[in-house]
Amino acid sequence: MFGKVLVANRGEIAVRIIRALREMNIRSVAVYSDADRAALHVRLADEAEHIGPAPAPESYLRIDKILEVAKRHRADAIHPGYGFLSENAEFAAACEASGVVFVGPPADAIRRLGSKTAARTLAKQAGVPVVPGSEEAAADLDQARRVARQLGYPVLLKASAGGGGKGMRRVASEDQLESAIRDASSEAARAFHNSEVYLEKLIESPRHIEIQIAGDRFGNLVHLGERECSVQRRHQKIIEECPSPWVARNPEIRAAMGDAALRIARAAGYHNLGTVEFLADQHGNFYFLEVNTRLQVEHPVTELVTGHDLVQLQLRIAADEALPFQQEDVTWNGWAMECRVCAEDPENNFFPSPGKIVQLREPGGPGVRLDSGVYPGWTVPLEYDPLLAKLVAWGPDRNAAIQRLRRALAEYTVSGVETNLNLFRDILADQQFQQGNLYTEFVADFLARRKPRPEPEPDLATAVALAAASAQAVNGNQAPGLERLESSRWLAEGRGQLLR
Amino acid sequence: MKWQILVDGRPVEIDGGRLEAVVQVEPGVYSVIVDGVSHEVRLQASPEGLQAESEGRRFSVEVANPRDARRGSKAGPGSGRQNIAAPMPGKVIRVLVQKGEIVEAGQGLVVVEAMKMQNELKASRPGRILEVRAQAGSTVAAGDTLVVLE
Repeated sequence: MFGKVLVANRGEIAVRIIRALREMNIRSVAVYSDADRAALHVRLADEAEHIGPAPAPESYLRIDKILEVAKRHRADAIHPGYGFLSENAEFAAACEASGVVFVGPPADAIRRLGSKTAARTLAKQAGVPVVPGSEEAAADLDQARRVARQLGYPVLLKASAGGGGKGMRRVASEDQLESAIRDASSEAARAFHNSEVYLEKLIESPRHIEIQIAGDRFGNLVHLGERECSVQRRHQKIIEECPSPWVARNPEIRAAMGDAALRIARAAGYHNLGTVEFLADQHGNFYFLEVNTRLQVEHPVTELVTGHDLVQLQLRIAADEALPFQQEDVTWNGWAMECRVCAEDPENNFFPSPGKIVQLREPGGPGVRLDSGVYPGWTVPLEYDPLLAKLVAWGPDRNAAIQRLRRALAEYTVSGVETNLNLFRDILADQQFQQGNLYTEFVADFLARRKPRPEPEPDLATAVALAAASAQAVNGNQAPGLERLESSRWLAEGRGQLLR
Repeated sequence: MKWQILVDGRPVEIDGGRLEAVVQVEPGVYSVIVDGVSHEVRLQASPEGLQAESEGRRFSVEVANPRDARRGSKAGPGSGRQNIAAPMPGKVIRVLVQKGEIVEAGQGLVVVEAMKMQNELKASRPGRILEVRAQAGSTVAAGDTLVVLE
């Protein structure tokens, strides 16, 4: 096993990986940009080194600098987390070339699966159904127009190198095609340094279901069941669960999807952890979407239900150990559900809300797991993804998991930045959600039918007035002490810029 | 002593003797027990005034005090000049309108990227573009005026 591992990431996932390393008695090396000197992952790591300015292309995406740090700290391996360099075949190859193990699949497999169009071809060869669409990136507008007409509107534009919904656009009719291609390509170019987009037939009201796979270097390959990630905003998942309510009602589907996922992995010469994503339509068909050749944000729900630590498993596989279990050993116990808590404003089109976390009360207690990357006093930088933490609850069945998650959400308070906590509180109280009637436009439809919250009890207004009067009585007329909290993110931001 | 507190504009009178019900448990966090019911209230000062949060709800709070009667009147929507400002620091990706252009409510004006996401700032009402201050590629600070609508 490795003696030291560099974590080439930040935020909650860097913290998650550092925790796995410590449980395995492996030293951790954190890297950080200018914006992250005081970040939680830096505070928790055994060793840490600065790698550049705040913008990711100058720090977390700098292959040369990260390899330099790995060499200087004598790290045996690099864990890339998700995002950033995690699906970069060039990085995986550069690691191997400089004698440090890349914790992930071989560079070849990333290349074969990293391009969505290449992955589609591979899936078809492996006999796995795919969503009808163009096999290649659209060369120009005319070609895109022809393909879209053949498929029939609505169509979906997707980035060839994409993920996380970036560079993705729904196109309802031909007059929207040109501007949608322009937006999607420029977003894709910025996010992935690759502006290629392709077209797919849009499956109406699909479920997003994915299969977790794991394989070692000796050809052993297993799946750890599905996750349902249909609850999304802006094509990004916000609530995930294992099992899927749909699969729970149709248990034979897990084996069928698992088998399809393993066929694709085998065809790609895959090992380490990966996720094969599918869309399921309302008639019980499923279609291959793409393979994520890395650890997934929502991996904790699988961990809680299968009992396997996926990050530790990744490290063992990367260190040339054999899978410690076989397919028939994988069992699923109970239900787990995750909310991605983000610094964003659901009342304002999910606009990101960076700033200083003034107060924070984190939930705990039975069956609750919080993978957080923040602490009170931490300023959420505006340069990166707004994910603050993942709140996960486990229960013996879906209702119990929902009740636990609602209880944990009631305990959770974050002030200083806007968050989506209230949105989760309302979604989890929604009848459609509780019945498991999920599909990828669920959030949009939910927001449309969401009723305004009932007027608060007069009691609450009295409590608020009492607190304000008390603050005033203690602090005098100007309510000082409150200002000292730097509670305004405008003020905090202005101050930050003066100090820069 | 009596306090006059406006909670979301509604007056609540607080008798000084009742302040025993309040304990500050953390900076800015108050535990309040009203008739045996336990509440937690978070207070924050902001440029718009005092904000309270409790049980997932927000309240604007005003402690009646003549010195605080300095609220500026904001022009309502649908009339006069309107500055479309950057809600947060970011980078201008694209400017979608030109000076003099007539826009409809909901029409996109400027695309700003922040936290790796592109966000389109839209006109909240119909009007004419009086001024375009945003430039594609430039970095903007929170509150910077990007477009002036008339």
